[in-house]
Amino acid sequence: MDAAESLRLAARSIRGHKLRAALTALGIVIGIAAVITFVTLGASVKAEVVGQFDDSPANRVFLVATPGDDGGPPAALSQPVFTEYDVGRIGEFEGVDRVVPRGTIATSALSRGGETVARDQVTATTPALFESVTFREGGAFADASSGEACPAEMAVTPSAAALFPGNLSVGDRVSITQRGNRTRNVTVVGVLADDAGLNPLAGFGSRPRFYLPTCAYDTVVTSPTTGTRQNVYPQVTVIAANPGDTAAVQTRVQDYLDTESDAAQLAPGSYEVSARTNEDIVERIENVVDRLTQFVTGIAVISLLVGAIGIANIMLVSVRERTKEIGIMKAVGATNRDVLQLFLVEALLLGVGGAVLGVPIGVAGGWVAVTYAELPLTLPLVWVGAAIGIGLVVGVVSGLYPAWSAARVDPIDALRYE
Amino acid sequence: MTGDVASAEPPAVELDAVSRTYTRGEPVYALDDVSLSLARGSYTAVMGPSGSGKSTLLNLVGCLDTPTAGTVSVAGEDVSTLATRQRARVRGQEVGFVFQTFNLMPRLTAEENVALPLVFQEVAREERLERARDLLDRVGLGDRTDHRPSELSGGQRQRVAIARALVTDPAIVLADEPTGNVDTETGERIMGLLDDLHAAGNTILLVTHQRAIADRAERIVRLRDGEIEGIDQVDVEGAA
Ligand SMILES: Nc1ncnc2c1ncn2[C@@H]1O[C@H](COP(=O)(O)OP(=O)(O)OP(=O)(O)O)[C@@H](O)[C@H]1O
Ligand SMILES: [Mg+2]
Repeated sequence: MDAAESLRLAARSIRGHKLRAALTALGIVIGIAAVITFVTLGASVKAEVVGQFDDSPANRVFLVATPGDDGGPPAALSQPVFTEYDVGRIGEFEGVDRVVPRGTIATSALSRGGETVARDQVTATTPALFESVTFREGGAFADASSGEACPAEMAVTPSAAALFPGNLSVGDRVSITQRGNRTRNVTVVGVLADDAGLNPLAGFGSRPRFYLPTCAYDTVVTSPTTGTRQNVYPQVTVIAANPGDTAAVQTRVQDYLDTESDAAQLAPGSYEVSARTNEDIVERIENVVDRLTQFVTGIAVISLLVGAIGIANIMLVSVRERTKEIGIMKAVGATNRDVLQLFLVEALLLGVGGAVLGVPIGVAGGWVAVTYAELPLTLPLVWVGAAIGIGLVVGVVSGLYPAWSAARVDPIDALRYE
Repeated sequence: MTGDVASAEPPAVELDAVSRTYTRGEPVYALDDVSLSLARGSYTAVMGPSGSGKSTLLNLVGCLDTPTAGTVSVAGEDVSTLATRQRARVRGQEVGFVFQTFNLMPRLTAEENVALPLVFQEVAREERLERARDLLDRVGLGDRTDHRPSELSGGQRQRVAIARALVTDPAIVLADEPTGNVDTETGERIMGLLDDLHAAGNTILLVTHQRAIADRAERIVRLRDGEIEGIDQVDVEGAA
C-alpha cells in the first residue's frame, strides 16, 4: 500500500473521532509544550548571563564567600568576609593592578529637597571601579583611603538619576537615610553613561544604582590578623595588570585566601572562600541552568510518556472497534504489513499532530516566561525540530503494539466479529 | 460438457478430502471429507440447507479459512499450507469474494469500497477510482459513487460488494448468496453479470438457496451436514 493512501485512510479514521483524537494527543501537546517552554527559558537565561560575562573584561578575578558547594548562585549569597586588611594585602600582589571591594549600605530613602525616593540599599565601593568606565556627566568620587574626611560624594547610574523628577544631575544635593535613621548628605559628582552592571557579581540588568565611597560603608568587624575594627566586604574584584596573568593572579589570590587571609578565618565553617575568573563563573552558571533544564525536561519526558500510553490505549481500543474493517481489508488482499502500516501511520499522525500543536504553545509559553523575567528571547531552534522528531518517535513507539495486534487479526474471525 | 477443455491445465479449484471441524465443546463437522474439482471457466452452484457448510466451503477456497484436514488448491497451488503473505496475495489477486453479509467499509464511499482491493495491489489512485467507477456503472450504480454504505439500500450494497469482487478482474469469483437480499429484478441483473463473467471465461462458484438461480450454472453441488450429497449436471438446453 502506498504511503499517500495509508495517510489518507489514517487521517479519515482520526477525523471519525475528532474529540477522542484531540484528547489523546493532549498528553503529547503538553509534554512538547513544556519541553519547549523550559528549554527556551533555559537557553534565554544562559545566553543573557553568559553574554554579560563575555562582555566583562577577561582580566578580572572575583572573590566571593558562598555556601560550600558549586550549586548555589555565584554571588547573591556572598558573605561579608573580606576585610580592608585582605584588600590591602591582595593589592600588593605581583601582577595585580587594583582591587575593588564592594558592599551594600542599608538605607530607607534618598531625598533631594522635598522629593523622596524609597531605596533599601546603596553600593559602597572605591573609585577604582570607575577606571575604565565612561560618565555621561561629571566623574568618579574622591578616594577615601587616605584617612582624610570622608568625601560627601555620590555617583549614580542613569536609571538611578531618572528616579528623581527631572533627573539627578551633577551638583544636586541628596540626603540618604541610613540604618538607625542616620542621615548622610552627599553631592552628586557623576552620572554614568549607561546602566550596565559594573560587576557581574552584583547582578545584571538595569537596576538603578547609587555608588558611595567605602568610608560610608557601615559593616565592620575586628580583623583577626591586625586586631583592629575595619570594613568587611562581601565581594571583591581583583583586576590583573595584564589579561595574560589572570590565571596566575587567581592562583596567588586563592592561595592567600586559603591560608593567611582574614576571610579564611571569618567565613562560616560551611562556606567556601574562592577566587573565580569569568570563565569559572560562566561555567558555574551554565551548570546551574543546564541542571535546571535537565530536571524540567525530565518532568516533560514523563508527560510525553503518559501521552504515549494514551495513544497506545486509544489505538488498542481502535483496533478492537475496527476488527471487522481489518477483516474486510484482509479479505480483499491486505497483507499483515499493510494493516500494520495503516495503524502505525494513524498513531504517528496523533504523535506528530500533538507535537505540531505543542510547539507553538511551548514557544508562546517560553516567550511569556522570558518576558516576565525581562530577558531577551533565545529560541532553541534545534529543539523545535527535535519536538517533531519526538512526536514521531512517540507515535511509532506507542502505535507499535496496537498495530502489531491489528496485523495479527485472523480474517475469518474478524469478519464474524460484530 | 466438463472435462475436455481443462484436462491439460490444473483445475481452477481442487478440494481433496477436505474437512473443517470446529471443536467448541461438541465437535462440529462443518465440512467432512469433501472432494471437489472446478475446471477453469466452469460455473458451479452450491445448494443445501442452512448450516450445511456452504459458506465454509467458500471461505476455504477464498483463503479466508484453513482446512483441518485435506488440501485446497487454487490454480494448481496448494493454498492450505501457504504463508500468510501468499494467502493475502491469493485473496487479492486470484479470487473475488462476494460475501453473504456484504462486508463493506462503513466510512468509505461506494467507489472507495470498490477500489479498496486495488489499494493493496499498488494500483495508482486515479486508475483505481476510474476502474471502480467503471464497475459501479456496470452494476447500475454509476450515480451512487459518493454514497456511503449506510446511505445505500440492501440491494445497492450487494451490487457494490459485487463490483468490489470484480475490480481486480479475478479468474475465480466466489459468490455467497449474491441474490439473497435483493428483489427479483436486481437479482436478475446480478445473475446477468455472472453470466457475462462466465462467458468471459471466469470460473464461478455460487451459493444459493433458489433452484431457479442454481439452474443457470453448469453443475449443482448439493451439500448436507458438511458432506456432498450429490452433484447434478444441469441440462444444457434448459440452462441456455
Ligand atoms: N466459528 C465457528 N465455530 C463453531 N461452529 C461454526 C463456526 N462457523 C461455522 N460453524 C458451524 O459450521 C456449520 C456450517 O456453517 P456455514 O456457515 O458454512 O453454513 P451455511 O451452509 O453457509 O449456512 P447458511 O445457509 O445459513 O449461510 C454450521 O453448523 C455452523 O454452526
Ligand atoms: Mg452461509
